[in-house]
Amino acid sequence: MTDVALDEYRARAREWLEANLPERGAGESGSMNPWDGGDDSAEYYATQRALQKRVYEAGYAGITWPKEYGGQGLSTEYERAFNQEARAFVLPDLGIAGGATLGVCGPTMVAHASPEFLARVVPRMLAGDAIVAQFFSDPDAGSDLAGVRTQAVRDGDRWILNGSKIWSSGAYYADYGMCLARTNWDVPKHRGLTWFLVPTDAPGVTVERIRQINGNSEFCQEFFSDVELTDDDVIGEVNDGWTVTQTMLLYERGGGTARGDGGRAGSGGLRRDVVELIAAVDGADDARVRDLAARIHVDDLARGALGRRLVALMAADPKRAMNLASYSKLSSGVFDPIRAELMMQIGGEAAIAFGEGSPGAAAALGLLNGRFLAIAGGTSQMQRNAVGERVLGLPREPSFDATKPFRDVVRDSVNWSGRVS
Amino acid sequence: MTVDLVPAPTDEQSMLVDASVRFMESEHPLTTVRARADGAAYDDAAYRRTAAELGWFGMLADAAHGGGSMSGNGLLDAALVAVERGARLQPGPFVGHNVVVHALTTAGSHNDVLDELVTGRAWATWAGTTARCTLEGSRLSGSIAVVADIEVCTWLLVDATTDDRLACVLVRTDTPGVTLRSLGGLDVTRRWSAVELADVAVSDDDVLRSDVDLGEVAAVLGAAESVGAMQADFGVALQYAKDRIAFGRPIGSFQAIKHLLADTSLWLEMAKGLVAAAATSLGSGAPDGAELAHAAKAFVAERGLELAQNCFQVFGGIGYTWEHDQHFWFRRLAADAECFGSAATHRAQLLDTVRVTR
Repeated sequence: MTDVALDEYRARAREWLEANLPERGAGESGSMNPWDGGDDSAEYYATQRALQKRVYEAGYAGITWPKEYGGQGLSTEYERAFNQEARAFVLPDLGIAGGATLGVCGPTMVAHASPEFLARVVPRMLAGDAIVAQFFSDPDAGSDLAGVRTQAVRDGDRWILNGSKIWSSGAYYADYGMCLARTNWDVPKHRGLTWFLVPTDAPGVTVERIRQINGNSEFCQEFFSDVELTDDDVIGEVNDGWTVTQTMLLYERGGGTARGDGGRAGSGGLRRDVVELIAAVDGADDARVRDLAARIHVDDLARGALGRRLVALMAADPKRAMNLASYSKLSSGVFDPIRAELMMQIGGEAAIAFGEGSPGAAAALGLLNGRFLAIAGGTSQMQRNAVGERVLGLPREPSFDATKPFRDVVRDSVNWSGRVS
Repeated sequence: MTVDLVPAPTDEQSMLVDASVRFMESEHPLTTVRARADGAAYDDAAYRRTAAELGWFGMLADAAHGGGSMSGNGLLDAALVAVERGARLQPGPFVGHNVVVHALTTAGSHNDVLDELVTGRAWATWAGTTARCTLEGSRLSGSIAVVADIEVCTWLLVDATTDDRLACVLVRTDTPGVTLRSLGGLDVTRRWSAVELADVAVSDDDVLRSDVDLGEVAAVLGAAESVGAMQADFGVALQYAKDRIAFGRPIGSFQAIKHLLADTSLWLEMAKGLVAAAATSLGSGAPDGAELAHAAKAFVAERGLELAQNCFQVFGGIGYTWEHDQHFWFRRLAADAECFGSAATHRAQLLDTVRVTR
């Protein structure tokens, strides 16, 4: 690659963006916020899919993905150049499942699936024709992902899938789910798992939207009743699903990048939601309100500083990156609820009864959503284990389920006495 | 072991830190901290002079006065020394001394005193926010409720009200009318005193021509010393959790302990990030320097003591014995939380630096 080539690429991208996508107005985020209850109709996503297809056909989807699977096979400099140019435009919005498709499921597939699978599926993912939701957690297994009980049983040359998946964001408009299932009950839990690509319109698949406490319904639950799959639907090796899972978790947790400052990185004054709430309760001169606001701001600044510190630590020692990323999620899991409570204290009565769209309503919504990162994608307790064992080097807890057949684990768990031998 | 306040220090910063740590560990190791807490006398004149040779007192002075920084940001370099000092509970009013150097440098006066301070011929400290003094004409009166390590100081910088404004006055501690009263103290790694100023004669020259906010620099360096103490205390607790056996296994394998230490290490990492950010911004004159300085002190004051409490819990009964070192850091962090402004004080000041209204 030469700088000239990159400059030309950038100029061509800019030209295409100007001709094909609307420019973004000031303050527009350009992507759907999962919490703001944005448009999620079938018509909306049909429009967005058509837009994604134009991006794909112009060669700007999957810029760094392999050519044989519909990508462009270019280096990250090109992707960065395109993203920089694209910042000023409204990109296709495939919602939260679209994010999972290209951010988690796709990269994991590319790392583990067969060339035939990838040539068939990945181009359609990039083109917006195959949106893939995450069929990861079972109702019975979330943080303990290797303990899923949704199962696929061999029947001749087919697999028969039964069970249920949950917390799959946006599955109601997805075309497929990337599904973790148990395929062998007679080995330890990590060794009897297999990944499948399950069409959401296959006979026996039911997708139900979950009504959340915040009033939205992003999350879904799926039910599988004798769903027929084939070997072509298998991602990676049969019974080696845990290897695939580790790649998947890496992408799901941000690929060893530091996040978790809640979008509040950087100093330069109180965050806007705090200022709005103070104004709503007329508290700018109230010492109690000011102290609460200062508490929020101190924590916001500390989280921003932590994020930047983690990025620098990861750059200084990339081998530590994955482990240090646990701090990022833990800080959100711990400080989001604290922040939400402080906001409630500032809001007072205005945060328990309110007009729609008011700062008080936002504070109340913040309380309801405040534990999201303390639970989703592995609870704070999981992050504390990761920090304790992989960053601080503390000894592991004894494990009672890692070496015996999963069938026996399930049987014995109902009679748990605490005595191991 | 050094405290990784910044993830990627420059070579010069690493040299400063390494030389400083070697000096501290040979001249004033933890055994000396303990002996002094038990009442042993310690003449720190040699310590002060060697520290000056290492550059500890010139980082906030300009080159004309023998000062200069390693990285171009003297406050960040001073913070790097401060964290190592805090970790090793080092003697002397390093924070107050550097605040006075900063004040004199900014005021551009008292070159002779500045030279004394930078070269380590004398200690100085800043009375901080507990001073209640008035300056009427050429007479300074009032009191300072608590000030650390002033008994070794030749110079005292004190804020006094005069004609409805604040004046910053430099006085020799042996001036007639200045009386030190020794106090017992929670933090046995420092010496504590109250100061009476009774009709102390000062000249116009002793009033600094500067309105620089000393509290911000004190906040950053004070918080940096605390972060070092946090790191040291946590490190010992973490090792103890790996070594101590109960119920047939290391106590650190229990999630109750493991999770407590994970959260505690999160406070520590956040504290390091925030103090480094504050030193970087305030020391380079960035617009968010004051904001980050107050936030850093407020965060460290509360989380520092909370960290010490958590470590104490991990130590269990042994932490309640004088012979275990944990109580030195515990005491230090509790005292640090109040020195140079409490968490609540700095939160109030933080809100004065930012817009609260639309």
